[in-house]
Amino acid sequence: MKLVGNSILTAKNITKKYACGHKAVDSISLEINKGECLGLVGESGCGKSTLARCLLLLERLDEGEIWLKETPLHEVHRGTIRKARKEIQAVFQNPTASLNPKLKIMDSLMEALDFQKDIQPCFFNGFQNDRLKKAEYLLDMVGISKTYLHSYPHELSGGQKQRVLIARALSIEPSLIILDEPTASLDVSIQAKILNLLKDLQDQLGVSYLFISHDLAAVNFMSNRMMVMQQGKIVDECTKQDLFSDERHTYTRQLLHVFES
Amino acid sequence: MIQTLLLSRNPYRVVILVLLALSVILMTVPVLVPFDPNHVDMGNRLQPISVEHLLGTDHLGRDLFSRILVGAQTTVGTSIFVLSIALLIGIPIGLISGYIGGRIDRMMMRVVDAFLAFPDYLVAIVLSGLLGPGMINLVIAIVTVKWVGYTRLVRSTVLSEKQKDYIAGAKINGLSSFQILLKHMIPHILGNVMVLATLDIGKIILMIAALSYIGLGAQPPSPEWGAMLNEGKSFFYNAPQLMIIPGLSIMIIVFIFNLLGDYLRDRFDVKDQKGGL
Amino acid sequence: MSVLKIENLTIKKQEETIVDNVCIDIKAGEWLALVGESGSGKSVTATVIGGLLPKALKIESGNILLENQNILNLNERAFRKIRGKQISYIFQDYQGAFSPFIKIGKQFDEMLASHTTWKKRERVELTLHMLDSVNLSAQQVYNNYPFQLSGGQVQRAAIAIATILKPKLLIADEPTTALDSLTSLKVLELIYNLKEQTGCAVLFITHDLRHVKKYANNLSIMLRGKLVEYGDKKEIVEKPKHEYTKQLLSAIPPLRNSPTRLLTINTEKEKEVTIV
Repeated sequence: MKLVGNSILTAKNITKKYACGHKAVDSISLEINKGECLGLVGESGCGKSTLARCLLLLERLDEGEIWLKETPLHEVHRGTIRKARKEIQAVFQNPTASLNPKLKIMDSLMEALDFQKDIQPCFFNGFQNDRLKKAEYLLDMVGISKTYLHSYPHELSGGQKQRVLIARALSIEPSLIILDEPTASLDVSIQAKILNLLKDLQDQLGVSYLFISHDLAAVNFMSNRMMVMQQGKIVDECTKQDLFSDERHTYTRQLLHVFES
Repeated sequence: MIQTLLLSRNPYRVVILVLLALSVILMTVPVLVPFDPNHVDMGNRLQPISVEHLLGTDHLGRDLFSRILVGAQTTVGTSIFVLSIALLIGIPIGLISGYIGGRIDRMMMRVVDAFLAFPDYLVAIVLSGLLGPGMINLVIAIVTVKWVGYTRLVRSTVLSEKQKDYIAGAKINGLSSFQILLKHMIPHILGNVMVLATLDIGKIILMIAALSYIGLGAQPPSPEWGAMLNEGKSFFYNAPQLMIIPGLSIMIIVFIFNLLGDYLRDRFDVKDQKGGL
Repeated sequence: MSVLKIENLTIKKQEETIVDNVCIDIKAGEWLALVGESGSGKSVTATVIGGLLPKALKIESGNILLENQNILNLNERAFRKIRGKQISYIFQDYQGAFSPFIKIGKQFDEMLASHTTWKKRERVELTLHMLDSVNLSAQQVYNNYPFQLSGGQVQRAAIAIATILKPKLLIADEPTTALDSLTSLKVLELIYNLKEQTGCAVLFITHDLRHVKKYANNLSIMLRGKLVEYGDKKEIVEKPKHEYTKQLLSAIPPLRNSPTRLLTINTEKEKEVTIV
């Protein structure tokens, strides 16, 4: 048994190697607390997406531990991974690739609930057995008209698709959502709307986020605590208040310079 | 319902419509047939086209029109049967091989390569030669050469789709591998498989007829088009219709299926462009 | 003097207007940023200048003057002469700038040989000088294949080949979008330095105002085919007039004094201004 306190997800010294032996994720430790948004900044190729896939148990770890509250996810057997993962959801960078183009929005949206019948989120109280009503409620949460339920993904814009995916991530009332560059492929004005939406939903539902992005400004907007990743390692870690302090790592300061100019 | 089918632009509906029409014709064959196709009447042999015998009679006095109709049942029916079995074998192997990958995939693909290394006809002829003549052996021979195409097609679709984020999403949403194949992969392969299958039916009909013609498939009394061609060839100078009519029948039915396949391919290409925005 | 003047340009795709009555004027040594989101028609405007307009699109009306000469109705051969020598391009897809199986140096050489009558020695010298001026180790890159370089290095080599003949106009179509933030800052600096050295005009197309805040002289904001705002950068950034410009400016979260919400305005249906 491990003493956890407030933390939802704890990762200890996780390492993931490529087939060639190069370390994509090099001994990273992090802790995400209940209701907080932890930011992770890094340029492309620094291993941040691999880290996300490791935390989602989509990749097998080479070393390290992942704890979800009191459950050691790294020890979970392959067969029971699906059960262990119930409390973690994700939204990826490319909304078009995240929706099966051959399925209607309704079916993609309800996927998590359809296949995990035992989950009964409290915001569905009163209509737990009405699939259509649940779907409409979810779309309403992210500000999408319910007329899109029977549309196919190509009838929606990128921003709308990303909203649908956010709704799906929330549908099982997870304690943590991993957001891997959720706005990178969207226009800036749409990015602003999505970021606002994510913040509002966090206030309403108390869910934790791991917000991963190359955009220091967006990370700074979203989170109170952030980590900077470079070549598979965490090189810096600070709170929002300390971002401009002199103790920052040179790499962090380089990034700051870019985003301030 | 017929009206909505006729008016709709959905590519699936056209196929359904054609298949529906075809199966209606094939099913009403026993009613339409004016004579017993195997009734020998030596007094009436090699009759020309007349009101009583719409397409004349053959060298044993059997009604050619009846034989063509019943032959349609044999030829088209058998080829659809062959195709269904090829799909039932090819699709699951392609799905599993592509999705699991690794050693199983490499092993399966070597087997597939081995089948693809030889021409279709050669393998089919050798196999049905080894197994002996007869319809069932013919079916086995053609299924053996046809399933690999579907395995390859399905596998390549699965390989490219399984990298996409929505598959990662499905895993996170708690779907098992089997559920992912069923919910996400089947809708993806359906269109491609349907196009290939429609184009293939023509080829299978030709193959059945060809193998029957050289005496490996259907055997003489049965009214199969290829076998009829074979029987008719000795009378080509006196009664060319004995070869021309089954030959034309084969041509027309293959033509219909090829047109259908081309139409479907065009429709799906257009749809893919739309979906790929 | 105006290097490029676009007068009342309207481009249609069947019935849909893609570019709507756009007027642009760029002088020598000036950096004009054309800012717009996807579907705004900014890239179409960029392609039409070099005669690269896709066939599905038709020019309805307007003029494009390159140093007071109307280039709108030139044929493909005439355009080929202009491209590379008078107008050159840098694209977002930097991989497309070089063909993959020919050494970088040879590609420079072929390009120079087709546009000039210089001797081999002069061509090599100039190539090495240009590679050097974009901060690449010239000798090495000269003998490298494109795939041996990183994305940022390829984009820098692409800038070198685009500016080697000292074009009058450099059109940069989202050159930094596919690059890291640190690398794109370097690329921006580089374009600026080259502009200062050669005195060429720069038309810089982007969706992100951040990339142009520092170096651009003038800004033009494009929304659904129309220029909604056009003028001095400082004026626009400090006192935006159009709602859409305000929205673009406020959509970027500031690093200091981060607000709790970003300002967004529902001026249009979301669908019409999003990347698909």
